[in-house]
Amino acid sequence: MTATYPPAEPIWCAGCGHFGVQASLDRALDTLGIPRHETIILAGIGCSGTIQNNLGTYGYHALHGRVLPSATGVALADPSLTVVAAGGDGDGYAIGMGHLVHAFRRNVPFTYLVMNNAIYGLTKGQRSPTSPRGEDGAAPFDAVSMGLSVTGTTFVARGFTRRSAQLDRLTLAALEHARSGRGFAFLEVLSPCVNYNDTYPEWEAALHDVDAEADYNPSDRASAFRVVAEQAAQGRMAVGLIYRDDSGGSGQATAGVMADGRARPAAADLDPTRHAPVLQKLLDRYRV
Amino acid sequence: MTLATTRLVDDLGVLVAGQGGDGSLTVVNLLGTLLGRRGFHTYTAREVASRTKGGHAAALMRATSVARGCLGDRVDLLVAFDEEAVERAGHRLADDGIAVFDSSAGARPDGSLPVGATVLEVPLARIAVRSHRRDLFKNSVAFGLVARIVGVSDDEAAGILRERFRRLGDAAVRSNLRALETGFEVAELHGFGQGAGPWRLAPVERTERILITGNEAISLGFLAAGGRFFAGYPITPATEILTWLQAHLPAFGGLAVQAEDELSAVNLAIGAAMTGTRAMTASSGPGIALMQEGVSHAGSAEIPLVIVDCQRSGPSTGMPTKPEQGDLAMLAHGSTGDFPRVVLSPGDAADCFSLAIDATNLAQELQGPVYIALDQALGQDSATSEPFDLAVVTTTSGKRLSAHDVEGLRELRRYVLTDDGVSPWAPPGTPGGMTLVTGNEHNEWGLVSTAPGNRVTMMDKRMRKLDTVRDRLPGGRAWGEPAAAIGLLGVGMTTGVIGEAAQRLAAAGVPVACLQPRTVWPVPEETLEFIRARERVYVVEHNAEGQLAQLLAASGAPRERLRSILKYDGTPLRPGELVGRILAAEENTR
Repeated sequence: MTATYPPAEPIWCAGCGHFGVQASLDRALDTLGIPRHETIILAGIGCSGTIQNNLGTYGYHALHGRVLPSATGVALADPSLTVVAAGGDGDGYAIGMGHLVHAFRRNVPFTYLVMNNAIYGLTKGQRSPTSPRGEDGAAPFDAVSMGLSVTGTTFVARGFTRRSAQLDRLTLAALEHARSGRGFAFLEVLSPCVNYNDTYPEWEAALHDVDAEADYNPSDRASAFRVVAEQAAQGRMAVGLIYRDDSGGSGQATAGVMADGRARPAAADLDPTRHAPVLQKLLDRYRV
Repeated sequence: MTLATTRLVDDLGVLVAGQGGDGSLTVVNLLGTLLGRRGFHTYTAREVASRTKGGHAAALMRATSVARGCLGDRVDLLVAFDEEAVERAGHRLADDGIAVFDSSAGARPDGSLPVGATVLEVPLARIAVRSHRRDLFKNSVAFGLVARIVGVSDDEAAGILRERFRRLGDAAVRSNLRALETGFEVAELHGFGQGAGPWRLAPVERTERILITGNEAISLGFLAAGGRFFAGYPITPATEILTWLQAHLPAFGGLAVQAEDELSAVNLAIGAAMTGTRAMTASSGPGIALMQEGVSHAGSAEIPLVIVDCQRSGPSTGMPTKPEQGDLAMLAHGSTGDFPRVVLSPGDAADCFSLAIDATNLAQELQGPVYIALDQALGQDSATSEPFDLAVVTTTSGKRLSAHDVEGLRELRRYVLTDDGVSPWAPPGTPGGMTLVTGNEHNEWGLVSTAPGNRVTMMDKRMRKLDTVRDRLPGGRAWGEPAAAIGLLGVGMTTGVIGEAAQRLAAAGVPVACLQPRTVWPVPEETLEFIRARERVYVVEHNAEGQLAQLLAASGAPRERLRSILKYDGTPLRPGELVGRILAAEENTR
């Protein structure tokens, strides 16, 4: 057996919400029987951007804000991998915001876990895009609403790190959605920062659990929108499996798999002599 | 009108200009194909405004009996579809040149054409509308006239035209052939019978050739070298690499992605590269600037990546459609921190193909970023070339571990210290190969570390890789008089110009030695030796700061021997201009 890196101890503070996120991911990988070597966790910059060191999988530490394009590149180039992108609200909703809308649009199958604590913890307490309206007058950003607004979005969920049973279900559902090729699975986890924004009690009191609604239909985008907006208007947040379109494949071509699902020649098939006849035909187009 | 003498043409400069959409490029392409079939070497460039349609647009072509790889000094034939074309381009016509002016909207403006030139005022658009009901047939009318001017048979011209319009259907072929006939009739009126025009084409031996742009050649080379993933964001003048690879990668099991911006493009490519897939991105200056953080990251995290910079005029958004070489300093030194990187620079289309292969393999061996520095002229101009030899293509994956290799290892550290600085790696999915990849400073396991000792060890390990690949870096191309005291040195679009200038300088009694370094960074020893062996070396480059000369000086070239020949007006240097500037500089030296 080849010895690899010793999984790191989390760097997070006692009571940090991120422990719950990691535990749910760990359990979901085991529940689904996904070997660690077939999994890659990519994380951004921030406190959350260390989770990739902790679970014995392949791990990648992306540039600040760029975890989504990096993960998209991995998922497109090798669709056999279980790809999990992770990061915080600063990484995903501030510096990396431009990529999130396109990740929803492209619907490339991988999972994105956002640990939202509504604060910059690692740099010690600056406001984030999800912080409540403050002195600067800027309104908080809601990624769930944004995700629902993008045509092509197929999976939107929100959990709360303290509600571990639900978070386990949501993490599992997100991984299954992505692994089955249906598309981009977005899971925001409310994950308080005990040092700079300890919101455990107020978030606990502000949640509206759609999973507990008997007649909630997560495949109905319009009603999902309505519920999320109604809750937001009351200063509350919807949690649970908010929207899922599991009607089909992602429609996204990847290396090795074409948009219609047929297999392509392997991306690792590089032998130039094998490809020479096709290359020669290409070259012949340029003959004078 | 009959001209007194028939000129034998072995070096023909053609400029066709009008508004975008007038079909200037079609006329040049038809003539280029015709001349190419005759064995001429052709070089075609476009001058366009950065807009979708309209605006002044010109197509330039040079056809030569020997390979030149650049535009010449002369415009022998000018076809001007409107007044603006004459006003802008008329002064470029040679004194003994021929101008065809579309007089549909009135007489040509005074004083814009050389006195000695032959001017044929022909209402091309009016004829096209009158005889063929549509303005757009004027380019086929013009081609008929041009064919008579260069003295080819009507059948030969018709054959080229038929081939050109074949894919548009029989109706398009028939109507364009009729317009061509009209062009012949117009020529008759001017006294140019079939095979009896003012010019005669020199006999040239015909060999197998291709006609290709640098951007296409780069894309083909990447594909041939096993490149299977590309990400890019549209930008002039690099867009064709994206569209070419989007069209052709899928058949090879690959994929080209149009990203939302260049920050995404470089990170998409990095992500793909991490899986062991050969990945590339391409852009021009503004986009390459946005990618700088990603390139540094690939250097630190040790990820194989090819980045093409098809340079255009800067700074900022600059002049998007104009060539420059003002990014060389950014490519060699840009971004945060120190990391090993290589900058290659091709000098013609065949070189683009060859260096794309080298870059793709080198990135794997280096486990880091390899740039290819193109420029707008080299990237977008079409030139004839010997067909690329696919038989010489090889691929190397560097220190890549298979699952079987990993199984035999006691342990696997992603950044294990080695003598050559290169650490063996296994892509995700390899059983037992689980590793951590990060751009943060890290220890051998890939865990973040700020320990001073580790930092120095890791920095030295990464930088050591440059020494490891140094003897595999593509060597330069040297020509001219090897013992000459004077050297000419340049890369990219200046290569062909330097080649021609060297011949003319030798003929003028100034023998020169020439070098096109194909590796710009790190500066190879052979480049420094070339400079040390001369009294002075003219470093020819398209930028205002002499960036290439600065890179050479910083790498140990004797600064007092370097003389910069700079151009940054957005137009490519022509051989005559270079000869003139060097002779003037030599005059001052004496």
